[in-house]
Amino acid sequence: MNDLIYGLITGLLFGFLLQKGRVLRHEKQLSALLLKDMTIIKFMLTSVIVAMVGTYLLVDLGLAKLSIKATILGANIIGGIVFGLGWGLLGYCPGTSAGALGEGRWDAIWGIGGMLAGAAIYAEAFPAMKATVLTWGDLGKITLPQVLGINHWLVIVPIVAGSLLLFRWFEKKGL
Amino acid sequence: MQTDGKPWSPYLAGALSGLVSIGSVWFAGKYFGASTTFVRTAGMLEQAVAPERVAQLDYFLKNVPKVDWQTMFVVGIFGGALIASIGDASFRYQAVPPLWERRFGPSKIRRGIGAFLGGTIAMFGARLADG
Repeated sequence: MNDLIYGLITGLLFGFLLQKGRVLRHEKQLSALLLKDMTIIKFMLTSVIVAMVGTYLLVDLGLAKLSIKATILGANIIGGIVFGLGWGLLGYCPGTSAGALGEGRWDAIWGIGGMLAGAAIYAEAFPAMKATVLTWGDLGKITLPQVLGINHWLVIVPIVAGSLLLFRWFEKKGL
Repeated sequence: MQTDGKPWSPYLAGALSGLVSIGSVWFAGKYFGASTTFVRTAGMLEQAVAPERVAQLDYFLKNVPKVDWQTMFVVGIFGGALIASIGDASFRYQAVPPLWERRFGPSKIRRGIGAFLGGTIAMFGARLADG
């Protein structure tokens, strides 16, 4: 029960911020894919670097555990390409479709219906995927610091620095 | 040109959402995600028409059809966006997004079919990549 309340409160805060950042809209998502408006990249990357620093601090202090998904090259690459095709057509992603509906962009409801259908189809296809794509290039639950054999802060600091440089460049170019 | 309420800098909104994510990991032990909710919800809908089929599928054993933390997170995203857009008067009923209309015309049916197909393909890919 607590879990459900935490989920709702977290979602309300996140949805509020997504809307305020204006990243839910079809035109923002498409303009990012067309490399014309980087609003979504700014939101996403800022969120990632803040969360990355905070999460690793919590892990270092023993207050949280990482939840790492397996890297399976075949599944990640093919799945990523397929996702991109659908994303370009729909213009919302799974989380933002709920938010887009919340701000009145009700074409998102068709996307949500399609995503439910896609999930049902995937459940049917799962045994076939498990025997093929999900075995191609299975590297297990790896992380960058682990592969490089260095402390995680030596990966985090350059990523934060690189992101800040990228943001400066976006602002200079008016993206 | 209609005004667009009071948007925040995407850097500010993004940074705050990063803090929300840290809080979620700290207090609830939950990382953000949305697509598993579509699997669980599809399973619940399918249970209403073909429960024996759902019981046969491994994928629904791995992702049990039920309402959980993430379902409420996705419901919350809807509510949060509704509150924010009403609060700054940027809420609009819109059936065909402007960029789509420029390319494919004003047909709501065409947009509906495109969005449905796009959603189907996107979710299949997302689940395959386990994202």
